[in-house]
Amino acid sequence: MTISHHPDMSTLMAFSAGTLDEPYAAVIATHLAMSSGGRAIARRLDLIGGALLNEEQDAELTPGALDRLLAATDRTQQPDEARPETDVPLPLAHYLPDGLTGAKWKWSGPGVAICDLPSSADTSRLMLLRVAAGRPVPEHGHGGHELTLILTGAYRDRFGVFGPGDIADHDEDVEHQPIAEMGADCICLVAVDAPLTFKSRLIRTLQPLFGL
Amino acid sequence: MYAIAMSEMRSGKNFGAPGAEPADLLRLIAQNGDKSALSELFLLFGPKIKAVMLKGGASDALAEDLVQETMLTVWRKAALYSTERGAPSTWIFTIARNLRIDQQRRKSNRPHEDLAKVEIASDLPSGSVMVEQNQVISRVSLALQALPAEQQEVVRLSFINDIAHSEIATMLAIPLGTVKSRLRLAYERLRPLLEDLQ
Repeated sequence: MTISHHPDMSTLMAFSAGTLDEPYAAVIATHLAMSSGGRAIARRLDLIGGALLNEEQDAELTPGALDRLLAATDRTQQPDEARPETDVPLPLAHYLPDGLTGAKWKWSGPGVAICDLPSSADTSRLMLLRVAAGRPVPEHGHGGHELTLILTGAYRDRFGVFGPGDIADHDEDVEHQPIAEMGADCICLVAVDAPLTFKSRLIRTLQPLFGL
Repeated sequence: MYAIAMSEMRSGKNFGAPGAEPADLLRLIAQNGDKSALSELFLLFGPKIKAVMLKGGASDALAEDLVQETMLTVWRKAALYSTERGAPSTWIFTIARNLRIDQQRRKSNRPHEDLAKVEIASDLPSGSVMVEQNQVISRVSLALQALPAEQQEVVRLSFINDIAHSEIATMLAIPLGTVKSRLRLAYERLRPLLEDLQ
């Protein structure tokens, strides 16, 4: 898979440091699962954490900590959970046990459907977005950091054509109007900031229709 | 007795000391289930992991638990570790980081760990270990120390203190864009070295 659009380096550094909210971490992990070049960069960034850990001043451990560890090694190990068999990369598979075909889509405007994915974050949101071929991608509650990973199909905006594995990493100040390429539906994995809003669920549903 | 052993370990044994290479200890654990190698590795890394967890905001008890879980994972997964995949401290850092994230989320979804499985399945080790692994880490350390102070600060707050970029911006009273650009600049400074080491 040739990836031509990559995450911002600062986003990859946050992933390596472990400070991204789960929706963003899920998008980056899925992107990296699709990009061997991206994984090579991520491994380089992990060296930063390794070096900082290595030079850390020792904290005092409680007496008996080593004995506790040695005792725990004797306990039987739980087997690794089975790898889900799906059509999506492993980091996404736990969110979509039945793969993309099993996604529960909700109509969200002409040619547009979304599927919210569960996550532990309450200030950001993870979802699938499906845009019919040739249709514009709606504004989806922009207003903060937005990560969009193309899973299938493609879209085009002023930054170029985004195909499977490509990621758009935008801050709130970026304006763009992606349009799904002809040929196939474009399915994206999206992480967005989801600050508490006073807008009702109905208005949020109508948002893509009326540009609210 | 344990405390004495620990202080001897701190003052007497350096990472470069022959026979105490963390990579060798990992190999002994992987091949022989060697508990004395695990003990030695624990004395080298346990106190550092705890320090990082405390800086990340964990209570003393939680930091101790995370040390235990990290070292137990090292014990169980040592066979997956390969010197060609990076320095032991890097591998141990990623294990500790993933456990810290899990603990915060209390959820079953684990994007970082799933990605590690993808790496093991798809990315063959390079096959050429160009630089001895502890040298790698000390070279990265030196390069980090040579960064301008304001870049070092954001790198540490992020990787060690576990603070999100937006919160770093608030703490330092600088725009979020400045936090990100300092991190990008830090990477650009480190990049030739990091690329060289792979």
